[in-house]
Amino acid sequence: MDILIENLELLLQALGTTLMMAVVAGIGSLILGVLVTVARVSPIPVLRAAAFCYTQFFINVPLLALLILAVFALPDAGLLLPLTPTAIIVLTVYEAAYVAEAVRSGVNTVGVGQIEASRALGLSLGQSLRLVVIPQALRAVVQPLGNVMIALAMNTALAAAVGVVELTSRVNKVNLVHAQPIEIFTGAGLVYMAIALAIGLATGWVERKVAIVR
Amino acid sequence: MPVTSMRSKLPVAGALLAAFALTLGACSSGSGSSAVPQENAGSGADAENSAVFADAPVADDELILPGSTMEAIRERGKLVVAEALDAPLLSQQDPANPDSVTGFDADLAKLLAIYILGEPNVEIVPPASETREALLANGTVDVVFNTYTITEERAEQVSFAGPYFSSGLAVAVKSDNDDIKGIEDLGGKTVIVGANTPAVTAVPEEQPTATLVDFATDPQAVQALIQGRGDAYVQDYTLLASNAAANDQIKVVGQPFTTEPYGIGLKHGDTDFKEFINEWLLKIQEGGQWGEAWKASLGTVVESDIPTPPAIGSVPGS
Repeated sequence: MDILIENLELLLQALGTTLMMAVVAGIGSLILGVLVTVARVSPIPVLRAAAFCYTQFFINVPLLALLILAVFALPDAGLLLPLTPTAIIVLTVYEAAYVAEAVRSGVNTVGVGQIEASRALGLSLGQSLRLVVIPQALRAVVQPLGNVMIALAMNTALAAAVGVVELTSRVNKVNLVHAQPIEIFTGAGLVYMAIALAIGLATGWVERKVAIVR
Repeated sequence: MPVTSMRSKLPVAGALLAAFALTLGACSSGSGSSAVPQENAGSGADAENSAVFADAPVADDELILPGSTMEAIRERGKLVVAEALDAPLLSQQDPANPDSVTGFDADLAKLLAIYILGEPNVEIVPPASETREALLANGTVDVVFNTYTITEERAEQVSFAGPYFSSGLAVAVKSDNDDIKGIEDLGGKTVIVGANTPAVTAVPEEQPTATLVDFATDPQAVQALIQGRGDAYVQDYTLLASNAAANDQIKVVGQPFTTEPYGIGLKHGDTDFKEFINEWLLKIQEGGQWGEAWKASLGTVVESDIPTPPAIGSVPGS
């Protein structure tokens, strides 16, 4: 434990980066994911096809490959972003695909009758999505979304491979000096566990709050 | 009569089947376990640099002490080594032929296997830099050949034989950069380093104001330097020299600014094995195999004579 305490300041800084990445990418992916779902269930064929391709692409390409592509291929295309924002953007668009799939399963829980009724009452497509479908869909998928967020928090560790100094990268460096892998990586593992637990508990609380009483 | 001829053919068919099955087995063990390839005697790579393995010393039986690690390795029939598969010139796996791992570290590992077993029978466990101590402590591997810099902190966890080689960190920049002449010009600059290399700790010691960006592999770091993610790339001098030789967009500036003594990692406190390996190091240095191994690997990218090997035990921690 001494080693972890000795390097506490650096480790906390790195933990801050990890949390910041998780929060920013989490919020971003929730918004983007819902938008993708809306496109996916919309009656416009082009949007549906685009949303389908988007989710299939990001679900089927490994995150590490995307990160390395974004970090090393984009500069050749003339776009040189700093490393941390690049990693956050990649995490956002990647996890948005999973959010979209989760939300789409929630949309499927909303009865067809409700949509027909809302259209019959004169709501526009946008209104019926915004006021009827999406609120119910999101309530139904709080737990799956929580799981996507936990996966996102864990996936931030992959950013270490492309030079972002977050928790994993930092403990690697600490270990390089102190050569105590078991102690150091167990410590880091416990921190990741605590993050996952916190997201899980928060999700459970939100789910109870917003549960649809039928 | 037809029945008898059928019978007489049966053993032949059986032998053919068995041979086919064996070939299949050999193939699948070759490709299936490519992550942990086996180095066998007489493979193509060994034949190529036979100068390295010519007259390689073999330990006398009385050196294999009863109950020692050497005896356990000899009984097992293979030496389990932690070495990289992606380190050019040091220990690089041929992508087209996974059984062929070549380089300075790889050749020394084979020489050690010959010394103990009489044949270069090496099983490679690719280590991450962060797991080397644990691999040794729990007995997964017998030795670590992994540009393992001897430090006093590490010497509390593992024992080091050697040093078997001494290298140093140097600075590389883009070819059109004339401002940076060496480590002394890196204050306040963004410096690219390889993750888990000695540069991670050495650069802040020399230049506390430099910002470090680390990439997992050497090709990534070179790419990042060319794309301008950093002003300079600090890495082992030999490796940089080989990068610069292969790529005219980067150049090496100044002289190496550290001395990195590489040791052979052993289980902590295994003094018999350590003495045994140190004795072997002296033998291959005197016998010329050490120099041949250097010439066949690191020596191919630098224009100099075979360097003088560092004195055994000359570093704190060894």
